[in-house]
Order: sequence, then C-alpha cells, then structure tokens
Amino acid sequence: MNAGAASRPAGFDLASIPERIQSEVQRAIQRSIKGVEYISTSGPSLGSTPKDILNVRGTMNLYHYRPVVDEIYRIPILIVMATTNRGYILDMVPGQSFIEFLLKRGYDVYMLDWTAPKPEEKRLAMEDYVLDFIPDCVRQVQRDSGETDVTVIGYCFGGVLSLLYGSIFAGGPMKNLICFTTPVDFREMKLFQNFSDRRYFDVDHLVDSIGNVPPEMILSSFEMLRPASRAASQVQLWENIWNDEFVKSYRMFDRWATDTLPLAGEYFRTITKDLMWDNKLYDGTMSVGGHKADISKIKVPILHAVAEHDHIVPYDAAKPLILKVGSIDKEEVMLKGGHVSLVAGANAIRRLWPKLDSWLSERST
Amino acid sequence: MADKSNDPVALWQTMIGEMEKGFNAFANQAMTSPQFSKVVNQVGGATAGAQRQLGELMEKYLLTMNLPSRAQMVSMAERLASIEGQLNEIKALLHQMHGNSATPNSAAPAARRPPRTKRPPSAGGEQK
Repeated sequence: MNAGAASRPAGFDLASIPERIQSEVQRAIQRSIKGVEYISTSGPSLGSTPKDILNVRGTMNLYHYRPVVDEIYRIPILIVMATTNRGYILDMVPGQSFIEFLLKRGYDVYMLDWTAPKPEEKRLAMEDYVLDFIPDCVRQVQRDSGETDVTVIGYCFGGVLSLLYGSIFAGGPMKNLICFTTPVDFREMKLFQNFSDRRYFDVDHLVDSIGNVPPEMILSSFEMLRPASRAASQVQLWENIWNDEFVKSYRMFDRWATDTLPLAGEYFRTITKDLMWDNKLYDGTMSVGGHKADISKIKVPILHAVAEHDHIVPYDAAKPLILKVGSIDKEEVMLKGGHVSLVAGANAIRRLWPKLDSWLSERST
Repeated sequence: MADKSNDPVALWQTMIGEMEKGFNAFANQAMTSPQFSKVVNQVGGATAGAQRQLGELMEKYLLTMNLPSRAQMVSMAERLASIEGQLNEIKALLHQMHGNSATPNSAAPAARRPPRTKRPPSAGGEQK
C-alpha cells in the first residue's frame, strides 16, 4: 500500500473520477438547456380525466368522472376536497391520477371541488358547507347514479367537513367514510395553534377588515411550517433539471402547492374559534347551524389514512378520529410519506391506493 | 462505482438535506414561542387594516385611470383557468374518441352507464 492510497478514505475509487467528471459536465450542459426549456414552457396539463360538470354554484363544483370499465361497483364515491386547495391533486397526469386509478378499478367517482370564493361570498359559513353544499352534492350523486347509498372520501379539511356532515346526517345516506389525514384534536396542531393564539390573533378584526382570507396568507402559513423547504426544493430542482421525470413531477406538485384558495371569511372565523381555539370537534361540543355535530354518532364503516411524516396534520391531531367515531367497522392505517405524498405521487401509487381499493371494494356492493 | 459516502455530489445533497432539516427544526422551535405569535399577529393585524384601506384607494385610482383592478384580474385568471380546464377536457375526450374509433361497436363515452354489478375480488369479481 502506498502513502497516497493510505491517506484516501476507504471506498474512494480513483478510477471513477474521470467518469464522474464527464457525467457532471454532461449534466451541467443539460441543466443549461433544460433550464431555458423550463422557463419557456408550461407544465403538464393536470386534472384532465374526462368528466362532466353536474353543478357549479358559487365556490362549489360537482364533477362526475366518466366510467372507463364495463362494470362498476354499486355504491358511488363522492370525494370532498379540502377547501384550501384544488382537487387536481387527486387527478394529476395519466398514470399518476388517483381518480383514474379508481375508475380503472371499477368505481363510479364524483368530486366536490372548490373555486376561490368571490368577495361577495365572504359570508359563506360552516353551515353553508356542511348543511348545504355537501348534502346538495350527495342528493345530486344519488339522482345521477340512481343509488341511495354514497361513499364519502374527505381529504384533510374535506375530511373534517365529511365528519361534520356524517355526524349531523348520521341516519344516512352516507354508507362508508374514508378520511385522509384529517385533524380532530386541533390542540395538537402546535404551530397553527401558536399562529392563531387567541391572545394575539384577532380573527374578527382580520375577517371584518379583509373579508375572505387571501390565498397568500394561507400559503405562507403552510410554508412557515417548513420555512427552509421551498429554498431547498429549488436547489433540488436545479440539480435535477436534466431529469425530465423529476422536472415533470416537481412542476405538478409545485403548481398545486402554490395554487392555494382563499377561504370565505365567516367560514374561517368558525374554524379559528370553534376548532382552533375551543377544540369543539374533539370535545364533542361542535354544532353547525344549531345541529349538534358529535362524531361519536357516526356508525358507518370508516377508514382513516394518516401519514407518518405529516407536518401539516401531525399524527397526534389525527389519532383521535378512529377512537371517537361510533363505528364498529373502523380502521386506521398509517403509511409512510407526508401530507401530500400520502395521496399523490409514486408513494401513494404503491401504498395508499391499493390499500384503499382492497378496503372499499368489499364495502361497495 | 464510487462509494456514496465519498461522492462529492452525494455529500452536497446530504448536506443540503441536513441543513433543510436543521433550519426547519430550529425555526419550528422559535415559532412555538408566544413572543413569535405576538409579533407576527401584531404585524399581521396592522397589515390587514392597512391592506384594506390601500385596497379601497387603489380600486378608486385604477377606476379613474380606466385600468383593471387586481380582483378583476384574478377573476379573469379564474375564467382563463376554467377555459384551460375545458380545453384539456376536450383534448382528453378527443383522445378517447380517437381511441374508441379504432375499436368499432364501442359506445360513445358520454352515453356509457355501465351496470353496477361489479363484485370485489374476494367474492369472485374480476380484477383487471
């Protein structure tokens, strides 16, 4: 062994250096070419699974996705999207679309998606979402499908709305409930708790001043949970800009993450006061429009999928859901991933989607 | 192949990852303090009031100048997004129709209402 070799760390392969330099130079050239392409082109088109618009009313949009197989399950699915984000996270590009997956597996899929509430819709309240929009969509799904039973899937705050709906309309027609990363104990959302500390956060002043809560404020509160991640992801993008698949995926998720919706003022006021401050959903004291919304009233089969590394809805905030619902047939499944990668992307394709299919197929006839 | 622990690119990527984690953890720690909440909300509260007044002033100014306001631009962007979405649907539909035309005897997609008779795999249902 010579002195030079002895001073090199173990595993250092001199012969690989020219090869590595060549590869890095090629990538640097590719980065320059692809970097220009990135700026001058738009991202992949998202949310293009063929669908019919059944109803558009203000901020509410109800879609029906066209079946793609010759035989479908009896019970249709209504997906209730989170009110802060667009529904196309569940319908990215072909091959990476949860909607497409469900259609191919033989489900009849409807989605309640949201658009930005207009300034004149600032008075939309929790009652409008839980006692009007969701029941109206459920009725339309029943009418369109010809079926009485409906499976409801709620993502994040769409899950909270579904829980409120399910506890008030406990007699049906909701047949199954699936929640993705749905918070119940809002005390455990530590950072959001601190952002909305009632000693310093004057929600009345905010809502009375600006009406609807602007999307920039929603986005920055999400980004503040991981303040370094945006900068780090841009470094990652530059490193991988030679890789078309990486860039495509980055653009899809980045576009969705920054496409945040404003929240109707009154609705936001209720979220802050009843959920963030008083934790009424957890305590069983929540009421919507005079109707008691106690989740222990929910008796239908329920599946709750939570993410191991969810920084938006930490596990402690989501954990009580299964403990508190009154269902006998209930299951929580914790999967690897974060708040978004649980439902979309390569991680979801491998983990959540097959799990959901095996659970729901048994309960959809 | 070079050992990853000695690969400068891999080391750089690991360092960025660790810095991100470290900074996020540090910032999260700082953000749990009541002082943070107090400062952020004081600034936010003042901004909200100022934003409202400035917004009203700007609306008037833009109206005088015969220029569109931000709300109008956002509304226009919404409409464009909706048109873009519809175009994407038309593209997808055309693509599907093109696919269907290759297989005669298939029903038109909009008219398809398959029977609701599918059984789960455990009950002998076919899983394609």
